[in-house]
Amino acid sequence: MCPYCGVGCMFYLVSDGGRLVGIEPSTTHPVSRGGLCVKGWNAFAFVHHPDRLTTPLVRRNGELKPATWDEALELTVDGLRAVQAKHGTDAIMFASSAKATNEENYLLMKLARAVFGTNNIDHCARLCHSSTVTGLAETFGSGAMTNSISCFDQTDVILVIGSNTTEQHPLIGSRILNAVKNGTRLIVADNRRIRLARHADLHLRHRNGRDVALLNGIMHVIIAEGLEDRKFIATRTENYAALAESVADWTPERSAAATGLDAGDIVSAARMFAGGERGMIVYSMGITQHSHGVDNVRCIASLAMLTGNVGKTGTGVNPLRGQNNVQGGCDMGALPDLFSGYQKVSDSQLREKFARAWGVPSLPSEPGLPLTRAMNAASEGLLQGMFIMGENPMLSDPDQNHARTTLQNLELLVVQDIFLTETALLADIVLPAACYAEKEGTFTNTERRVQRLRKAVEPPGAARADWEIICDLAGQAGYEGMHYSGPSEVMDEIAGLTPIYGGITHDRLDPHGLQWPCPDRDHPGTPLLHVDRFTRGPGHFSPVVHRLPAELPDEQYPMVLTTGRTYFHWHTGSMTRRTHLLDREEPCSFIELHPDDAARLGIRHRDRLLVSSRRGGVQTEARVTDMVIPGVLFMPFHFAEGAANALTNNVLDPESSIPEFKVCAVRVEKLP
Amino acid sequence: MKTLTAGQLEQLLAVLSTSWELRLTILLPDGTRVIGSPDDGPLALQGGAVSGKPTAAFFPQLGTVFASSEGELREPKAPERPLFVLGFTPRDLACLRFIDRFFADGWRDDIYFRQRDGAVVAGLSGYCGPGGSLIRPAGGNCDLEFFRDGSNWLVIPYSEAGIEIAAKVADFASPEARERFRQASVQLPDENETLLLRASELLRANRVPDYFWSEIGDRCIACTGCNLACPTCTCFGVQDWRSTRQVERSRMWDSCQLDGFMREAGGHNPLGSEGERSRRRIHHKLAADPEKWGEISCFLCGRCDAVCPTGIGIVAVMKELVARYE
Ligand code: SF4
Ligand code: SF4
Ligand code: SF4
Repeated sequence: MCPYCGVGCMFYLVSDGGRLVGIEPSTTHPVSRGGLCVKGWNAFAFVHHPDRLTTPLVRRNGELKPATWDEALELTVDGLRAVQAKHGTDAIMFASSAKATNEENYLLMKLARAVFGTNNIDHCARLCHSSTVTGLAETFGSGAMTNSISCFDQTDVILVIGSNTTEQHPLIGSRILNAVKNGTRLIVADNRRIRLARHADLHLRHRNGRDVALLNGIMHVIIAEGLEDRKFIATRTENYAALAESVADWTPERSAAATGLDAGDIVSAARMFAGGERGMIVYSMGITQHSHGVDNVRCIASLAMLTGNVGKTGTGVNPLRGQNNVQGGCDMGALPDLFSGYQKVSDSQLREKFARAWGVPSLPSEPGLPLTRAMNAASEGLLQGMFIMGENPMLSDPDQNHARTTLQNLELLVVQDIFLTETALLADIVLPAACYAEKEGTFTNTERRVQRLRKAVEPPGAARADWEIICDLAGQAGYEGMHYSGPSEVMDEIAGLTPIYGGITHDRLDPHGLQWPCPDRDHPGTPLLHVDRFTRGPGHFSPVVHRLPAELPDEQYPMVLTTGRTYFHWHTGSMTRRTHLLDREEPCSFIELHPDDAARLGIRHRDRLLVSSRRGGVQTEARVTDMVIPGVLFMPFHFAEGAANALTNNVLDPESSIPEFKVCAVRVEKLP
Repeated sequence: MKTLTAGQLEQLLAVLSTSWELRLTILLPDGTRVIGSPDDGPLALQGGAVSGKPTAAFFPQLGTVFASSEGELREPKAPERPLFVLGFTPRDLACLRFIDRFFADGWRDDIYFRQRDGAVVAGLSGYCGPGGSLIRPAGGNCDLEFFRDGSNWLVIPYSEAGIEIAAKVADFASPEARERFRQASVQLPDENETLLLRASELLRANRVPDYFWSEIGDRCIACTGCNLACPTCTCFGVQDWRSTRQVERSRMWDSCQLDGFMREAGGHNPLGSEGERSRRRIHHKLAADPEKWGEISCFLCGRCDAVCPTGIGIVAVMKELVARYE
């Protein structure tokens, strides 16, 4: 399975004498169908990089020095216990990883809850789709992509909002391109001129952070023109009257004024979307990473229900999950309030079920800290120990300076990773992990397909699979309930405790996996959610009031900065920046600005710039392009030496705790 | 010409494995067919061309050039036993012939020939195409050819090494089998081959405007698959891995669909748009190579069309191009 994005393409690794030498795409896989994107084609290339961690490291006299596994494990467990003894059980936090397998995510949450007695466990889904989980759980009852990737071949109209699909989910983007070639209509709502926009019937370049205004405007037109699906609304949903009332005064003119669009385009978008027999909505970080991310998701859910586009092939609300296993990380309960399968820790019966299975007297009942609040808790001294598996918050978290001081001030920081990342450099103990090519397990892709990962080569030096390390930590801590012959046995335990994974065992996953819910061993998996009823019963319309982004441009910081990724790099770049062809494509940090802004500020293409916000400043290179609209800048966050997240605003959505990565106010100056 | 039952063919391969390192068409668990070692999966001779390019046996996606540490330079060794590669279709063999000449032209690429020299190349043809369809025999370009005839395989040797291997086979082919082989060898006009010539002519006469290429380029997601799957694409990039212990240089398949492929150090790129790069990819095969080598360097193996996620492999593009500009 591809270790990069949530599309979940499949390929074989070609090895020669224990070294990986190439990739063979699977020709039969239902998602990738013989193709891959450039990251997939190069996914073998970082595996044997000399920077790989090969031995545990322990900080001695301020320096990270090689240590034995026994020492490192002992120091980790003793350290975590000491912090707990001094500051309380919940003074430690576990950060799991959307790059790790399902089994590993499950084990880390078991370690946190059963062995260390805390619900302080979370992972980077907090930074990408926590708004989806919250918003869709409330409206539909399940926070996952409702439909399957194959639905793109069978739809009449696609609305893509806040997703640069051809770059971030390339093999879904290519399906959209093919669908458009075959006559599907495409609406792109994104103010960057992304590739899909070149193929769109309608490209809406609305102002950043005005998605609610846009979607409310579209829903207003649909209702005003009688284009809604009355039968679906009457039989499948509740609270429609409240929605209708809330959008009643969102006339196209008002929506246009708020979004900077033409009223006519809003009307066209409404007619085009409602006019299709089957319509799909696709979204990603452009929707979720706002201080009103959950509201955005609610609006999308409402639009889908309003037009009857749920529960059928070629329709649905389709949040594209970023990381290859961010779906699995959530499914496995690497979340502060949920066990695996979205079972609430606040429910005493569920707690009892897990406690019994895990052989512990009780489990903590209070939901733990979300990752994004952990940083604040740490800076206030409430949190003193962190165990981070496979994540790099130094580059991925908002407000980098804050993140650095916080991590430095912890009494204990343990990082388990494959490279010495910017975060690992700050750690007291570093544990070397195996990468995806060196272990067994499962990943769950964005369409809920649980798929097997197989070991192709041995890990370097003393590095070990995350699951083995976690089990050893449990053993070191004196817990006897974590001895497994391998990940397949872990999955059997997961299946026993997690109804949506109830029928999933490794031997059933060949060749192409199963889509959950899969409640029992004979169940064929579920390509479509909410077919006859929503998971929660009736679909719930949640009307939303338009709120502005938390930080708006002003005299001092007159421009809007939005952040994201490029096609060639993956998140904090620890793998892609060590892949020759990918790093050659985008070797350095850059910022996109519109030619009008460039002319006004006297900036030329490739000039060095200083970009600053209230939180800090970074140097980067100008890329003058009409990809962006005037007044808006775009910057990718992969680069340590021009870290976009030194600028971003650590303000959180009140409900999902997602940071507002997509909007902050900045100023640019040309460097001499 | 000799003949073998399927069982005898497997026995022959077992005998050959004592002198050669075998690379055969095998079936992977999900049904993907590739060229690999017999340990990687069961033999799967039927189904036509394998998905990855078979020339990877000699020119892999990533190959070490050298490694150096403590003043010592280490180069990869030639394989202990030479390779025996079975699984080239006649079109693949034409591609192999093309790159054999490319890698030997002027300078001789020692890394390529370290694998290639002494290797035995066996073609696959006959009624073993997708769904049992006929693949016309290559009639050369290889050491020997295995031709599927009903449930048997005919063995047709061409080179000395091929004759030596065929000598290990006891039974001679019947006159009827020889006749069937002869008939299957008659080359019939092929639609795509005509298309190739027509598209090549249009390109060489400069009859395809730039906006055609920007339309094609707009669909290219720069996955690089078309290049990576193409047996006649030979471009590679070079990477150095430096650590305190050693320096390791390797080379890996590159792609002209990437911006970095032609970008100059100062940032300027003579092929700076997807449209220009898509034009380059097709133009190279259909217009530039005929000038340099006297032949079009696409042999219609079908891989770029199969691998392209957005449907702009060479045949798809040629169809559109000929329909619009002829
Ligand atoms: S589309 Fe995603 S899963 Fe597929 S190859 Fe690319 S990065 Fe990997
Ligand atoms: S069909 Fe495509 S992959 Fe095959 S030789 Fe021609 S250009 Fe190359
Ligand atoms: S395979 Fe298709 S999408 Fe990929 S680089 Fe080639 S032309 Fe572009």
